[in-house]
Amino acid sequence: MKKAAMAAGVAIVVSGAIGQVHSASWDEKVFTSHVDFDAVAKAGPEALPALIERGRQLFKAKFTLEDGAGRPKATQAIVPTKRKTGTNPPFSRTSGPDSNSCAGCHNDPITGGSADFVANVFVSEGFESAAFDNTDPTFSSERHTIALMGAGLIELLAREMTADLQRARDEAVKQARVGGKDIHADLVAKGVRFGSILAHPDGIVDLDQIEGVDADLVLRPFSRKGVFASIRQFTINAMNIHHGMEATERFGVRWTGTHDFSESGVPDAVTPGDISALVAFQASLPPPTVKQDLPDDWRIAADEGAKQFTALGCASCHIATLPLKSLTFTDPAPYDMAGTLRASETERSIQIDLSKMPFASQLQKNEKGEWLIPLFSDLKRHLMVDAQVNALGNELQAQRFVERDVFLTPRLWGVGSTAPYGHRGDFRSLDEIIRAHGGEARFARDAYLGADKEMRDDVIAFLRSLEIKAP
Amino acid sequence: MTDFPSNDRRLRFPRKQASACVLFVSAIAFVMFCVAPARAEDAPQKPLGDIPIMHEEAAAADLNSVYDGPWEFFVGGGGAAVDCDGSGFPSVFLAGGKNPAKLFVNKSTAGGPLRFEEKPLTFDTGHHELEGIIGAYPIDIDGDGHMDMFVLRVGGNLLLKGGPDCSFTIANKEWGFDGDPGWTTAFAAEWEPGQKFPTLAIGHYVDRHAPGSPWGTCEENSLYRPQPGDKPDYSVRTPLAPGFCALSMLFTDWNKSGTASLRVSNDRQYYRGGEEQMWKIEPDKTPKLYGRADGWRHVSIFGMGIAEGDIDGDGYPEYALTSMGDTKLQKLDAEESGKGEAPVYRDIAGERGATAHIPYAGGDQKPSTGWHSEFADFNNDGLLDLFIAKGNVEQMPDFASFDPNNLLLGQWNGKFAEAGAEAGIALNRKGRGALISDFNLDGKLDILVVNRGAPASLFRNLGAKVDDGPPGPMGNWSEIRLSEPNPNRNAVGAKIAVKTGTRTMMRTIQVGGGDASGHAGWVHVGLGTAERAEIRVQWPDGEWSYPYRVFANQFVVVDRTKAQAAYWYPGR
Repeated sequence: MKKAAMAAGVAIVVSGAIGQVHSASWDEKVFTSHVDFDAVAKAGPEALPALIERGRQLFKAKFTLEDGAGRPKATQAIVPTKRKTGTNPPFSRTSGPDSNSCAGCHNDPITGGSADFVANVFVSEGFESAAFDNTDPTFSSERHTIALMGAGLIELLAREMTADLQRARDEAVKQARVGGKDIHADLVAKGVRFGSILAHPDGIVDLDQIEGVDADLVLRPFSRKGVFASIRQFTINAMNIHHGMEATERFGVRWTGTHDFSESGVPDAVTPGDISALVAFQASLPPPTVKQDLPDDWRIAADEGAKQFTALGCASCHIATLPLKSLTFTDPAPYDMAGTLRASETERSIQIDLSKMPFASQLQKNEKGEWLIPLFSDLKRHLMVDAQVNALGNELQAQRFVERDVFLTPRLWGVGSTAPYGHRGDFRSLDEIIRAHGGEARFARDAYLGADKEMRDDVIAFLRSLEIKAP
Repeated sequence: MTDFPSNDRRLRFPRKQASACVLFVSAIAFVMFCVAPARAEDAPQKPLGDIPIMHEEAAAADLNSVYDGPWEFFVGGGGAAVDCDGSGFPSVFLAGGKNPAKLFVNKSTAGGPLRFEEKPLTFDTGHHELEGIIGAYPIDIDGDGHMDMFVLRVGGNLLLKGGPDCSFTIANKEWGFDGDPGWTTAFAAEWEPGQKFPTLAIGHYVDRHAPGSPWGTCEENSLYRPQPGDKPDYSVRTPLAPGFCALSMLFTDWNKSGTASLRVSNDRQYYRGGEEQMWKIEPDKTPKLYGRADGWRHVSIFGMGIAEGDIDGDGYPEYALTSMGDTKLQKLDAEESGKGEAPVYRDIAGERGATAHIPYAGGDQKPSTGWHSEFADFNNDGLLDLFIAKGNVEQMPDFASFDPNNLLLGQWNGKFAEAGAEAGIALNRKGRGALISDFNLDGKLDILVVNRGAPASLFRNLGAKVDDGPPGPMGNWSEIRLSEPNPNRNAVGAKIAVKTGTRTMMRTIQVGGGDASGHAGWVHVGLGTAERAEIRVQWPDGEWSYPYRVFANQFVVVDRTKAQAAYWYPGR
């Protein structure tokens, strides 16, 4: 990676190597300089506040044509893909670019949060029929904005779970080879079962019985479907889809033969350092909390609702806490692949010690000294519809191998602040979305419906107490 | 698209090349010929993507084999890469010419340095069968799950039956094969419809004993179809005449008809009025040469090695034909071929920057001598690259003496860019055959080059060149192994379509081509930035599979009898 850097007025180290500053103080341009990844990584912890602040600026920034916004000749696809014909309009509410700011959607109740239905986006693979002006699910899957609070903790959980699952697989392969017989191995990470594998003595592993995770056993905790392994991967995709801002680590000359794949007129629009700033901001977003100033009736109901939430079976997927061994967030992430910056492509990683963040003092620990992350999710995908209850089966397209009616267990921390509910935001109230649970969640939904109204109200009171704290 | 000159130094002015007639004299021949003018329209392009660092470590890997000998061994010089011990790691059988052939069992660990251990070959019956070997191709002839080998020799060829733990025995007698005596320099095989065992095509060079040898004495080639029965029986020979001194053969489904034809690349040095050939091989019919009436055009080159690759993903393969002087890159002519009705090809080597006609390093401006050619993706960017082994025949003064191997990296503009020097493969050796395989199963293709008169070179692909620092990771990849019930358990002839987004990378399971060298086992595909891919297989009987959804950076086993692909993990 490029090492040339110059110190700016703030602690963050930035480079003017790609585009020299020609801006006036009133300039609308966002990128008057770019963050130098190597310099930031080398600077260590003292560079983090400025890096995070730069990330916050970029998250809220409104990208301009001078920044490279728009992707006139490229699609929203996850891999560099040219439009077959024509030129993208500056904005398209459907096939994108559909926003010129991350915070355009992620703003409720605070920056990084969720959004109302009006900010829904339309997810398509971006290969065939990449451009569309129709909200019919034949063309895309309409999605409600997910709050990014606590994203760093979520990714760290997923990394540790991935390590557990792959370790189990490796051990099964080893045992099968050594013992000369098939080895059946359960895949369990942090108490969550992801099915099983069958390892044969010849090194072949049958994957038919894997549940809720991809076949490479990389747990991908981001998006409604769970298709992004890291904040970094998610960010690169979102920047392209929603803003037409293309990161060099995926769309640069190395992978496309050109410095301006989308033909925006701006070469190398987004550097790895810029992406790292956005990653640092998101990774350090505090997790949602529990309302502390509840009136007595709500507090009593919420306490009872928490018990019912478990008793009814909701917590079988919406697991209250998952234990986390380390709060050290490294960027790049360990399980990203080519097209998203990898640790082996850098001299050193950026390290963010989340235990130093103010929110860490609010996290509890278990007897092993592990941090308990109260996300109310198992980070596993589940089938959410059945023949009778299929309101969540309103998509027509699979997404990156994940079937149309299978979704990642939503994290319920902050759920009291993120209405409307469901992957499309179809449900205005918590009661509605609970009633829409089918498939693997049908038993808990039926238990909820079978409970008396007071009990159901208690569950709602509990869920409403989980908030994203706004100033 | 916008190009930025600071990082893209493509030069736009045409290079001037004139035809030149040269008289060359060697120990065995003197011939006058003309070097074809280079048809490159642009100056060489600089590679824009990753350049793989190829670390030569044959000695450290305990792989020591020299191909040498008198003029019969000026040509050939190949070997076979094959998983002969069930480890998944490809071991290698290397021809030695006058020296005994050697078998090196792969002892590498996944991602580690390459390491081999020689295993003595015990099939010599006292008739010096280990000597006089030109090259070899792996193929499971009898379908017992152990890879066999066809061994090309001067004299009589060998069918080696594979057994457990890299054991091989001569099966000529058992399989009714008389060795097809002669000077064998080419081989290819396919399973014809309804056959239990493969059809073997054998290419010969000159008849050394004929009057006037070597000129005008090219031996005819042979086709051996399996005879009915429960075990291989190659007692019946069908001549493929005329022969024009074949140096490479390949069964290829050139027009997507589902029926492979046999391409033969011929060394024009020794024939009169000959040309490149393609035989129509239809089940139960006598082979028939494609002629002018079929659209086949006269091409006369010093044909050395054939490589097939679908470089533009249109389903129709392109062919790289190495020669003395410029390499041909043939593409089916879209207008004149009538969508595959006629085999009309045009040479696009010049426009694609793939002529490789003179050395790119060392300053020698004499014509190159190309041998093994093979398409593969060495930097995992999703584009096919072209490797060409180079080396003077022996001491031909009018050809480049220092003639380094080529590593032509595919570029996004459809051209090729030379990276041999930067990659580290530009050694001063006389390359011949080559084995391109992932010897340490790290997802990156390595290269073994059999050299004439010098130890074989073994290049481990360390990863992308990054300034002066340690190598970095390259693109994503997939390595695929097919299996189906007998016959043809390794699906020879199958096509593999790997789709990422709007791009489809094609591979074909083939036995043949190159320079007396072949490999079996994992089929490597670079995926670039894609972390997922859909694999579809067109099995040898023409049936397409449904899509198998796989993640990148995995070894994928596609068993035709199973609904889902499995992953495979190395044991060490």
